[in-house]
Amino acid sequence: MAKIKKKGTSGQAKNYITRTQAVRKLQISLPDFRRLCIFKGIYPREPRSKKKASKSATQNTTFYYTKDIQYLLHEPLLRKFRDQKALAKKIARSLGRGEVGDAARLEKNHSPKLTLDHVIKERYPTFIDALRDLDDALSLLFLFANLPSTNHVPPKTIALCQRLCHEFQHYLITTNSLRKSFLSIKGIYYQATIQGQDIMWLVPYRFVQRVNGDVDYRIMATFVEFYTTLLGFVNFRLYSSLGLRYPPKFDTRSDENGAELAAFTLEGRTVGDPPKAIEAGNKQSSNANQEVSREVQDKVDKVIKNAQLDQASEQVAETTEEATDAIDKFEPAAPEADTLPQPDLSGDQAGSLFAPFTFYISREAPKAPLEFILRAFGCKRIGWDTVLGDGAFTNNEADPRITHQIVDRPALPESSLPAIPAASEDGAVQKVRPGTRIPGRTYVQPQWIWDCINEGKLLRPDLYAPGATLPPHLSPWVKPKKGGYDPRASLAEQEEEGEAEAAAEAEDSDEEMAEAAEDKPAAADSESEEEEDEDESVDGGMDVAGTDDDDESEEEEEAEADFAGFEEADAGSESEDEEETVRTQHQKELEAEAAGLPFSGGNASAAKKKSQTKKIASKKRQEEEELDRQKMMMSRKKRKLLEKMMYSNKKQAEESAKLRSKRRRLEKGGGN
Amino acid sequence: MAALKASKKRKAVTRDVEEETGVFSGDELNGGDLDGALSDNAHDLSISSDEDASDSEIELVDDFSDSEDDDGEELDSDEIPSDGEDKASPTTVNLQGPFKDNESSSEEEDEEQLNYRIEKDANGNDRYIYDEINPDDNSDYSDVDENTNTIGNIPLSFYDQYPHIGYDINGKKIMRPAKGEALDALLDSIEIPKGWTGLTDPSTGKPLELSQDELELLRKVQMNEIPEDGYNPYEPLLEWFTTEKEIMPISAAPEPKRRFVPSKHEAKRVMKIVKAIREGRILPYKPPTKEDEEDKDLIKFDLWADEAEHPNHPTHIPAPKLPPPGYEESYHPPPEYLPDKKERKAWEETDPEDREQDFLPQDFGSLRKVPGYETFVKEKFERCLDLYLAPRVRRSKLNIDPESLLPKLPSPEELKPFPTACAAVFRGHKGRVRSIAVDPTGIWIATGGDDGTVRVWELLTGRQLWSVKLADDDEPVNVVRWRPGKDAIVLAAAAGDEIFLAVPPMIADPETEQASLDLLDAGWGYAASKPAPKVADDEKKKSTPPQWVRPSAALADSGVCAVIPLRYIAKSISWHRRGDYFVTVCSGASTPASVAIAIHTVSKHLTQYPFRRRIKGGGPPQTAHFHPSKPILFVANQRTIRAYDLSRQLLVKIVQPGARWISSFDIHPTSSTAAGGDNIIVGSYDRRLLWHDLELSQRPYKTLRYHRKAIRAVKFHPGGRYPLFADASDDGSLQIFHGNVTGDMLSNATIVPLKVLKGHKITGELGVLDIDWHPREAWCVSAGADGTCRLWM
Repeated sequence: MAKIKKKGTSGQAKNYITRTQAVRKLQISLPDFRRLCIFKGIYPREPRSKKKASKSATQNTTFYYTKDIQYLLHEPLLRKFRDQKALAKKIARSLGRGEVGDAARLEKNHSPKLTLDHVIKERYPTFIDALRDLDDALSLLFLFANLPSTNHVPPKTIALCQRLCHEFQHYLITTNSLRKSFLSIKGIYYQATIQGQDIMWLVPYRFVQRVNGDVDYRIMATFVEFYTTLLGFVNFRLYSSLGLRYPPKFDTRSDENGAELAAFTLEGRTVGDPPKAIEAGNKQSSNANQEVSREVQDKVDKVIKNAQLDQASEQVAETTEEATDAIDKFEPAAPEADTLPQPDLSGDQAGSLFAPFTFYISREAPKAPLEFILRAFGCKRIGWDTVLGDGAFTNNEADPRITHQIVDRPALPESSLPAIPAASEDGAVQKVRPGTRIPGRTYVQPQWIWDCINEGKLLRPDLYAPGATLPPHLSPWVKPKKGGYDPRASLAEQEEEGEAEAAAEAEDSDEEMAEAAEDKPAAADSESEEEEDEDESVDGGMDVAGTDDDDESEEEEEAEADFAGFEEADAGSESEDEEETVRTQHQKELEAEAAGLPFSGGNASAAKKKSQTKKIASKKRQEEEELDRQKMMMSRKKRKLLEKMMYSNKKQAEESAKLRSKRRRLEKGGGN
Repeated sequence: MAALKASKKRKAVTRDVEEETGVFSGDELNGGDLDGALSDNAHDLSISSDEDASDSEIELVDDFSDSEDDDGEELDSDEIPSDGEDKASPTTVNLQGPFKDNESSSEEEDEEQLNYRIEKDANGNDRYIYDEINPDDNSDYSDVDENTNTIGNIPLSFYDQYPHIGYDINGKKIMRPAKGEALDALLDSIEIPKGWTGLTDPSTGKPLELSQDELELLRKVQMNEIPEDGYNPYEPLLEWFTTEKEIMPISAAPEPKRRFVPSKHEAKRVMKIVKAIREGRILPYKPPTKEDEEDKDLIKFDLWADEAEHPNHPTHIPAPKLPPPGYEESYHPPPEYLPDKKERKAWEETDPEDREQDFLPQDFGSLRKVPGYETFVKEKFERCLDLYLAPRVRRSKLNIDPESLLPKLPSPEELKPFPTACAAVFRGHKGRVRSIAVDPTGIWIATGGDDGTVRVWELLTGRQLWSVKLADDDEPVNVVRWRPGKDAIVLAAAAGDEIFLAVPPMIADPETEQASLDLLDAGWGYAASKPAPKVADDEKKKSTPPQWVRPSAALADSGVCAVIPLRYIAKSISWHRRGDYFVTVCSGASTPASVAIAIHTVSKHLTQYPFRRRIKGGGPPQTAHFHPSKPILFVANQRTIRAYDLSRQLLVKIVQPGARWISSFDIHPTSSTAAGGDNIIVGSYDRRLLWHDLELSQRPYKTLRYHRKAIRAVKFHPGGRYPLFADASDDGSLQIFHGNVTGDMLSNATIVPLKVLKGHKITGELGVLDIDWHPREAWCVSAGADGTCRLWM
C-alpha cells in the first residue's frame, strides 16, 4: 500500500504563502514588506484553488509565491531595513533621554542609504526590458513633477522628478522619437518610440492637483523612489547612446525664470571641450540678452548635431536623392486580403514636420507641451511671451520671422481689432495688443499641432483658425475595427446594409414624402441640368435611380432585378410579387423610353425602397439560416463557446449601432 | 489529658455550655475544666486561669503517675454515667466529666501505659476513649488559638449587622463582645490601661492592647536601637584574612619584564593608526556636504553596460499596460460620443465601482477651457496599488474570430442542386396520405392513404392518373412501392392484411404495360405447376405461406393483377434491386414472429417466411430492406438492425443505433461497391437521425437531433447521383442533408445540413409520413398527414 500523503506538504499548500506568513518569515514590519515588494516587483498571486492554498478559513487572504518570498530572504535591502529599524530605536532612545542633538546627528549621519541599482539590474536585465516598463514610471514622475510640495512630498523629490522628466524630454527632442500625442480630459497623452518600444505616458494639465484623503503618499513615494532611480539610469543610457554627456548642464538661474526645457544644455561627450568653452563665454551674455543666448545655443546644438549625427544627416540626404530607399506604402488591391502592419512615420519624417517654421506661442496657450511637441517635431525657433518664462527664441510677437502663431482665444470681430503696428526695425520687444492679427503668418489653435503630428502631415490651418469650431480631436491609438464605429469614416460607409433605410422608415414618414416631392421637380428638368441633378441626388442621400442617365439606370435595374429573382427564388410567393413589380417597372421604363420621355422613378422609388428593405430582411434571414445550419454541425461545447464570443461581438455591434444612430440624428438635425 | 478529655466530651455533648464560654480565651477554658476538677463550688475564672498556667507541667506528671487506679475508678464511674447519661441532662454529664478528671488527676500514677480509658458505648460494647493530646508550650507549633477569628482578611464591618463577628476554628460563631455602655466607654477612656492603643484587634474584635515587651520593642525601634536583647554590636573583630603584609613572597621568581615595560604590540597598533591617519587612509568623520548629497541622485554609470539576456521566470507576469485612451476621452470628441441626458443620468446613478468608464465624455470646445482632472492623483495612486497589491493572473482571452469556430461547411450553393421549395401540391386523398413512391422512370408518383385508395399522379403536373380503392375506408393503404426497373411498371401496395400488385392501366405506353402484365401473369403458371402445400398439420398451418390469388373482378378491371393474402397487416414493403423479390414486414405486435417477415417472388408467385423464430431483443420487426448489391437482407426491429446473408443463411452483422424505436432506415445506394463500405441512415421515433458507417463501428457515426418530433421516414437519394438524404418528421418538416461518402477509407463521410422544408400542416400530431426521391433529379416528394403530397424541387 502506498504511503498516505500528509495534507499540506506539497502542491499548492507549499507553493503559496500568505502575506502574514511572509512578513513573519522575513522578520520585517508590514510597511517594510510593502516597500520591499514595490522595489522588487513582487506581487500577490491567485492560487488556482484558494482552499487548497490556505490553511485558514479566511476568504480574503493575499497569497504570494513561496519561492518569491524565499528569494526576498537574500535581499541586501533587508539588512538596510533592519539597520533602519535599529537606528530608529537609537534615535528614540536619545530623544527619550532628551538628547536632541544626538538624535539629529544619528539621523543625519547614520541613516542607511538605500541603493536600488542592483534591484533595477535584477528586474530589468536588459535595457529594452527597462524601456518596456517605463510607462508607469513616466506617468508617475510627470505627476510628481507637477505636484505642489507638501510635507508628504518634499521639494527635493519634486525637483528630482522635474529634472529627470526634462532630461527625458530632451532626449526625445534630440532624437525626434515622439510619435503621437493626444489631448484628453485627463491630461495629455504622449507616445514615443525608443528602440522599437512604444512608451505611452500621461501628463496632467497644469493645475493644482486635488488630493483626496484616501491617497497614501508613502506608497507613491516608494514608487517614486524606485522610478527616479530607474529613469536616471535610463536617461544615462539614452544620453550616452547619443554620445551626450549626462547629466546635461542645468542652468539654475534660467530654471528659476521659468525656462523649463531651455534650462538644460546638452553637451557632447567626445567634443566635450569646445561647447564648454562656448558655454562659458555664453554665460555672461546670457544674463544680458536672452535672445542672443538662444541663438548661440541653437548654433551649439547644430555643431553638436553635425559632430554627432553626421552619418544620420548624410542618410537623410541620400533618401532625398533616391526615393527608392523609402518604404513604400502598400495598399491592398482587393478588400478581402489581410493587411500587414506597416511602419508609420520614421524619425526623419517626424523631425522635419515643423522644421521650416517659426512658431510663436501666445500667452494663453500651454507653453510646456507645445514647446516639447514642436521641438520634438523639428521646430527650432519657438518664441513666446515673456510671461511664459525664459528660453524663447523671441519674445517679440511682432517679429517678422514668425510664420505660425498659436492662439487659443475667441475671435473678435475684425473692426474691434487694434491697428496693426508697423514692424519696427530695431527689433526691440514690442507690445502687441492681444487679438491683433499680424499679416503674413498663420494663426492656429493648439489642436492643430496635435492633429498634425498624429496625422504625420500638415493639415489645413484654416479649419483651426482662432474662433473656428474645431474638428473633433480623435485619439490616434484607436484602430478601426471590423464592426466597430469609426468617426472618421462617413456614416454611409459603415452602416450595415439597409440600416439607414430602416432608421429612416422608423422615423416619421412625412419627411420622406417631402423629400420625394423635392425629387420630382428635380427629375423633371434633369435633362437640362444634369450636373445639378447629380449633386442633388447625392445630397438627398437616396439613390433615386431614375434621375441618372437612362441607360445606366436601366442596366442596373435589370441586373438588380435578376439578382433579386435569383435570390428570392426560395422565398415563395413574396418573391413572385416582387418580381412582378420589378417586371412591370421595367416594362414601364421601356415604354417611357419608346415614347422619348424621361422615366421618373418618383412613384416607384418608394416601392423600390420598400422592396429593398424587404430584400435586405430576407438576406438577413438567409444569413441567420446559414448560421443555424452551421451551428447544427458543431458540438455543444463549441456552440457554447461560439455563443459566448458572439455575445461580446454583439455588444460591440450594439455600441457602434448606438453611436451611428446618434450620428445619424445629429447629421439630420444639422442638415435640415 | 484531662483537659483534652473534657474538651472532647464538650464537643460531643455540651454544646450550650460551650456557646456561653466561647468568647473566653482558650486558657480560660482549660482552666474552666481544671477548675471543675479542683473545686465544685465556684466558677472563678480568673483564678483558674492563673493556676492552669502555673501547674500544667505538674499535671502532666500526675497523669503519668497513676493509671491502674484510674482504670478501676473509671470502670466504676463508667457504670454510673452510662445510666446517668441515659437519663441525666447534659449539665449532669458536664459535671461528671470534671469529677472523673478530678479523680484521675488526684491519683497520678502510671499514666504512661494507658492513655486511654474504656467506656461503654450505647450498645454496651467497649469503647476506647483516648486522652486528648495537649500541645503544651514545648510544642513546635504555635499555639493555635481556638478562638481566633477565621474570617480572614476582610473588614470587620461586614459583620456589623450580625450579633457575631466571625467564626472560630471550629466553625462556631464568635459573638460580639459585650460593648460597655457609654459610661463604661467613658471610664475606659479616662483610665487608660497600660498598653492601650485605642485600636481594635481585627482578629478578635477586642481593643488591641500591647504588652510590656511589645511596648519595649516599639520603643527600641523608635529610638533606633537594636530591638533584640542581648545583641552586642561591638564584638571584637575576628580576622579571617590577615590585614598584615607578609614579609616573604610566596614565589621566589623575579618579576617579569613585561610588568614594567610599555607594550610593543599596542605601540604597533597605535603606529598603524597614526600612519593611516598620516597617509589619509583614515579620515576623521566629516558630515557629508550638501553637494555630496545632491550628487548622490545623479547616475554616473551605465547599469546596462554588460547587459545579458536573463529570461524571466516562466511564472512571471508583467504588469499589464494601461489601455490607450479612446475617442470618448478626448477633450473635444465627436459629438456622437457625448452622453445624452439619459446616459448621463444613468452614469451618475450607478455606483462609482460599477461604472464602465470612470469619467463622462465632455466637450470643451477649445483647449483653454479644459480644467484639471479632479481625480488624477487618485487614479495614479490606484494604479500604484494595482501594481503591487493586485494578484496577477494570466487569463487567456478568446480573441479569435467567432467565424473561425464555425465548421467549414461547403456552402449550399456548391452543394446545389437540392430541393429548396415546394413546386407542386397533390390534393385528392381524404385523410392522411400514408405512403408515397416515385416510379423508376420518374414520371409518376403513387400514393396510398387512409381512405383506402391508391392513386397515381403525374409528377410534374400534379394530375391524378389512376385511382383504385383497395380496401374499405377503415383499412388504410399502408404502403405503396414501385417495382424497380424501367421495363415494367408494377406497383405493390399493402392495404389491410393483403398485398396488391397492380399495373396502373393507360398511363404508360402499351408495350411497357403489356410487359408488366406479362411479368405478373407469368407466375400463375408456376404456381399452378407447383405441388400444393400440405395443409394437413394444424400447427404448420399458421406458418404456411399464403397462396397468391387473383383479385376480384372490380379490382382486376382497375388494374390489380395479384393479391397476396398475408393475414396480417403489412407496414413495410421493400423491393429487391432486380425487381423479382420484395420483402414485406408485418410489424404488428400480434403477428407471430415466424410470419412477420415475408419474401415474395414475383416470377413464381411465391411467398416465403425466411425467419422461423423471433428476432432477439427489441420487439417485433419494423422494416426490412435488401442490400443494394449483395444478397443481404437488413431487418430492423425496434432497437437493432440485423444483416442476414440470404445465400449462406447467416447473421452477418448487428447494428445498434441506440435509438429506442426505429421507425425506418435506408441503405446508401453505393454501399459495398467500389466506393467504400455500407452506410445506413436510421430514423427513430425518439427524434434521432443516425448515420452508421458499418466499417467503423456498430454504433452511429453521427447522431443528429434536429427534429422536435418523431422521425417517420428517412431516404437516400437513389442511384447515388446526388449525395443527398432526407428525413420526414412529425413536426411537419423535411430536412435535407448532404451526405457524401468518399471512396477512400481514410476520410469519413461528410454530412452537411442543407435545408429545412416546411409546408405540411400538422394534423392530429402527425406531420410528414413518408418521403421519396426522384430517381434522377434532386427532387423529393413527401406525403403528409394533412392529405396532401408535395413535390419539392
